[in-house]
Amino acid sequence: MQIVVLLKAVPVVGNERLVDGWSVDRSSGLEANGNDEYVLEAALKLVEAHGGEVVTLTMGPASSVEAIRKALAMGAARAVQVVDDALAGSDALATGRVLAAALGRLEYDLAVAGADTSDGQGGVVGAAVATRLGLPYLSYAASIEPDPAAGVVRVRRISPTGYDVIEARMPAFIAGTQLLGEPRYPSLRGIMQARSKPIATWSLADLGIDPASVGSAASRTAVHEATPPPQRAGATIVRDAPDAAVERIVEFLASRRLI
Amino acid sequence: MSGAIWAIGEVAGGAPTRLTRELATLARALGDAAGRPAASVLVGPEALAAAPALAEHGPDVIAVQVDASDRPIAAVIAEHVATLVREREPAYLLLGFTDDGRDVAGILQALLEWGVLANSSGVGWAGTGPLAEMSVFGGRLLTRSQFSEDRGLVIVRPSAVAAETAPAPGRVEQVEVAPAADLPAVRIVDRITEASEVVSIEEATTIVAGGRGVGGPEGFGIVEELADVLGGAVGATRAVVDAGWIGYAHQIGQTGKSVKPQLYLAAGISGAIQHKVGMQTSGTIVAINRDPDAPIAEFADLMVVGDLFEILPRLSAAVRARRG
Amino acid sequence: MNSRLTQEQIELRDAVRELARERIAPRAAEIDQAGVFPRDIVELFAKHDVFALIYPPEHGGLGGTLLTNCLMIEEVSRVCATSGLILAVQALGSLPLQLAGNDEQKRRWIPGLANGQLLNAFALTEAGAGSDSAGIRTRAVRDGDGWRIDGTKRFISHGSEADLVAVLAVTDPEAGRHRDLSFFYVERGMAGFQVARLEHKMGIRGSPTAELVFDGVRVPDANRVGEVGEGFRIAMQTLNRSRPGVAAQAVGIAQGALDVAVDYARQRVQFGKPIGEHQMVQAMLADMATRTEAARQLLYEACERIEGGAADAARWAAMCKLFAGDTAMAVTTDAVQVLGGYGYITEYPVERMMRDAKITQLYEGTQQIQRLVIARALLSTQ
Repeated sequence: MQIVVLLKAVPVVGNERLVDGWSVDRSSGLEANGNDEYVLEAALKLVEAHGGEVVTLTMGPASSVEAIRKALAMGAARAVQVVDDALAGSDALATGRVLAAALGRLEYDLAVAGADTSDGQGGVVGAAVATRLGLPYLSYAASIEPDPAAGVVRVRRISPTGYDVIEARMPAFIAGTQLLGEPRYPSLRGIMQARSKPIATWSLADLGIDPASVGSAASRTAVHEATPPPQRAGATIVRDAPDAAVERIVEFLASRRLI
Repeated sequence: MSGAIWAIGEVAGGAPTRLTRELATLARALGDAAGRPAASVLVGPEALAAAPALAEHGPDVIAVQVDASDRPIAAVIAEHVATLVREREPAYLLLGFTDDGRDVAGILQALLEWGVLANSSGVGWAGTGPLAEMSVFGGRLLTRSQFSEDRGLVIVRPSAVAAETAPAPGRVEQVEVAPAADLPAVRIVDRITEASEVVSIEEATTIVAGGRGVGGPEGFGIVEELADVLGGAVGATRAVVDAGWIGYAHQIGQTGKSVKPQLYLAAGISGAIQHKVGMQTSGTIVAINRDPDAPIAEFADLMVVGDLFEILPRLSAAVRARRG
Repeated sequence: MNSRLTQEQIELRDAVRELARERIAPRAAEIDQAGVFPRDIVELFAKHDVFALIYPPEHGGLGGTLLTNCLMIEEVSRVCATSGLILAVQALGSLPLQLAGNDEQKRRWIPGLANGQLLNAFALTEAGAGSDSAGIRTRAVRDGDGWRIDGTKRFISHGSEADLVAVLAVTDPEAGRHRDLSFFYVERGMAGFQVARLEHKMGIRGSPTAELVFDGVRVPDANRVGEVGEGFRIAMQTLNRSRPGVAAQAVGIAQGALDVAVDYARQRVQFGKPIGEHQMVQAMLADMATRTEAARQLLYEACERIEGGAADAARWAAMCKLFAGDTAMAVTTDAVQVLGGYGYITEYPVERMMRDAKITQLYEGTQQIQRLVIARALLSTQ
């Protein structure tokens, strides 16, 4: 079973910042997006059970390589990185196009991605990639159960009251969540082996994409303004005994008309 | 209809969801501000049933009745809306920030080649297009963004506006359209209900959330009690969801939901960055924690140092007593 | 950028740092309080190939260097000195095998040591013989095609947990000084080998320190490593490579205490400002950080010299252990001071770190012995 994991390298949560042109600073300090690590873990478990290999696909600058290496250390067999200066500042639309073009050049039974990313929070790229490639799209997965013999995959999709069991033919595209399970730590052996695993780098020219159609200049959206939210005044500390403390809380909530 | 603003709705139990009614209200407001027509669109097996209620918010409702209950609804909505968009050429589509809403937006983005402004906590009209306000980087920054062309998809969070009925309701127009794309088949084989009611912490105006400090699944009893008394929802940190004390639907933070209630009451939550990014834009934050040095003290409005097992039940009782 | 460490070493160190922070740190206080050997940490190391690091690839290891292993011990000891010692003792006990064992012996034992199935210990010290090996009374006498071992070893780290114990015994009392000793691997379950008792200790309380009794233990000759009479030389070479491990443990403990002290100084408010803004506290933190970094750099330098086959390896090993041990003691003591009353109670980890630090000034040769080794090396090269 061949699985491609779409892996985005994002700024460490809490350290994000914008740089000129209002794009997210990706020059350094990137790590694998949280939800992407869950789907990577699920993919690794699937190839352990069914055979085959996991390939990661990343669109991102050179600084993404640390996150890619970690995925290789966790057990991915090899990686593809789409890297091109022209990609900086790409919006979700361009990102979906580029990833679809890259994925279209790979062989796979399943393509999997995290349901959203911590820096963009759009959660729309996966559906767009699947749609462009004509792949069945199974989202918000809490579990992934392929049946390679029958050529189908079943997913438990989170619903507002529980979950739906949904099914499609493979190859298929799955967007997954944290419920897929805790990602493993890379073993030291994995880390050492990762250093000799191949990372193929593809440019826009390799994918036949016009550089003018991507990047910040081609973005369909633009940030006009960014301001820090209003600061809180700082916490009032209450250290009273329970009864007195509760009285203080009630007064406080009443003063703000919250009760 | 050319240049119109559309709200793309979702239906639950035969009625438009609260967020859908907010989107219709927002579409009307933006249409008024821009001098453009507004409409709501409902697609699915209950589109017609839900349409009159949605029409009360003003915009006309385009209802596409499709019986496709064995398919994920997002694909059904997207493929029909895409046809409607090509036929009637609206400029902006408002979608709800829900799992289905985001899936619809993703599919439409590929079908229409439109840009998307995601995760909007407020939408106004500026110049020639919508201006979307977004809280990014876990609430550390507020951005205002626009489209660079006269069309686009806006994903709107719950409570960006309050749902309001219009003086004159809109009309309901039932239309039949062919799906724009032949999306590959995904079939619903089974629907499993685990919760008796829908957990929608994103819509709640009050959230009482529990962390590791509640000690175990039983500890959530007093959290739930207080949430009940306050008319709020129960939230949780990832650690306690991972531990299986409460379901993922309650998780707030980096890989869970982001919320912005008027009151966020955090019990036994240290306030690690992964949790903070999902709730720090809440109106008022009250923290109850035994550790005065817990990071949450840095972004709470009221920090109560104490034992939540002593404080929560007393607080529930006090709020109840106050209400008489 | 750190010019001394390779990219690979940095990645390995960071991985173990994360493992230590997320999986070991939350256990450290429990391990200390329970005073029970943490088998779960052994399993954690096994699962993530941390044991495998120092062994050669042909026997299931990863071929890591002395420096790489010290980085692991340092990172683990930063949160839990008992857990750091698990790595150090595993390396120590297998050094005679690695240094002097034959291929058959390596094939037999190293794969198990590398995957964590086998734990080992190193038994040199006796009641009357610590740093002075001339006092060793444990005897190994030829018995048919094997050996019979009689004697008692004391202060043996992990002696009660080990599957394999490297025992230094007198094989020829008549041979000259330094030619009378040989190494044997005694296996758990061999008749006559038993754990007599465990010590109650001030620190590293999760690490069992055992008295081992060998009462006519029959050991096949295949369990002897190195030539007969080579024991002293093997022991000295072993210490050259194991003392840096103790130094790494000490650097880790110092760094761990510094981490806590800095955090505390940022948060604790007295006289209207965080105590970190008071100059007397600042001076302490500055000295703690400087000493810790100096100890670390001396350790890394020593590792590279020793790995490179330096003729004065013994001096480097002794210097890094001496300096790091004293640093750990001083820095943890100061950390307790920075935390004031909170430093003295178990709510914060620095009192544990201070108790743990003391052992690094004692084992694998006291600080006085290290000075002796250093001075002798200096004077003999004249």
